[in-house]
Amino acid sequence: MAKEKIHKDIVIIGAGMAGLTAAMYAGRMNLDTLVLENGLVGGQIANATGIENYPGFISVKGSDLIGTLQKQAENFGAVIDEFDTIQKVTLRENPKIIETEEKIYLADVVIIASGMNRRKLPLAEEKKFAGRGVHYCELCDGHMYQNKIIAVMGGGNAALDAANFLTKYTDKLYLIHRSNFRADEVTQQKVRQNPKIEIMLQTEITALHGDKKLENIDILDKNSGVTKSIAVDGIFVNIGVVPNTDLFKDELKLSESGRIIAGENCKTEIEGVFAAGDVREKEIRQLTTAAADGTTAALLAEKLLRNFRG
Amino acid sequence: MVKVYSFEACPWCNKVKKYLDSKGVEYEVRDIELNEDYAKECLQISGDTMVPVTTIDGKNFVLGFDKEKIDALIA
Repeated sequence: MAKEKIHKDIVIIGAGMAGLTAAMYAGRMNLDTLVLENGLVGGQIANATGIENYPGFISVKGSDLIGTLQKQAENFGAVIDEFDTIQKVTLRENPKIIETEEKIYLADVVIIASGMNRRKLPLAEEKKFAGRGVHYCELCDGHMYQNKIIAVMGGGNAALDAANFLTKYTDKLYLIHRSNFRADEVTQQKVRQNPKIEIMLQTEITALHGDKKLENIDILDKNSGVTKSIAVDGIFVNIGVVPNTDLFKDELKLSESGRIIAGENCKTEIEGVFAAGDVREKEIRQLTTAAADGTTAALLAEKLLRNFRG
Repeated sequence: MVKVYSFEACPWCNKVKKYLDSKGVEYEVRDIELNEDYAKECLQISGDTMVPVTTIDGKNFVLGFDKEKIDALIA
């Protein structure tokens, strides 16, 4: 059966901070707005246990912040579909075509806010132990490690926050990072003051061992060159993110890091196509800048539509 | 009856529940945080230390959110 064709003023790809902010603005301007998300609504912050650098909040759970923003967008009429998956986009035609598993959307404007995905552990054994000792969602899977030995791999804010969070389940946690921490000073202080966390800097995980599930990891001390094996039941990997731009690589210019090249006005090289949030190549990537991008993209999209329609 | 081994704060668990809601499928929530027996059952079913686990008979199961596999399970 042929897929149903549906026209939309704006299709927003991704329901993280940038996408939902754009949806809120677009909905509020009475634009027929659809948000497509095939991962988690909220994107990277859906798992955040405590956000302390978003204006107006001393500390807020990612799920609470995003839940409110989702309601705001929906109250203004934006529709969020988190179960359909995009198969193909054609951006150089007007209207632009977004084909999903179930439908074909024809959009006058597309805002790409597809964000980033967590980088996988670059070891051959990753597949063997994925879900059996190697994890990427501390909020989802941490509970299964009550009183077990946990390692967190990574040195940014997300990794250090994950380490602090996971100590609610364990008294022994290794925080392993190949160089020095990139996290901000406040977050570093929290892990340094946590007696349950053993920090191992200049250290790399080089191998994973276990029969049916993870039992030991090999770690290389880069200063001494010595490798040793330690008993670990679960590793939570937080070693950065990769831009979610596979769908667009044939149509849009990408930077060396794979992000979409667009100006501060979020306009890409194709008229009517905007890039917003972490997926856009830029120097600073924060929740606040994602919200700013979403705002900019939606307002300029509305202006474009107004000019186009006269 | 479909059973979803999960817990309240787990975002992927909530996505599975929302998907089942959208399909009008009734299910029983087995909260692994509130009930240690459910946590053990969950581990026995999947062998994996992660949730959500969706199952009907305790043998065939879907780990995580996988729309195609959930559709097959509830068909």
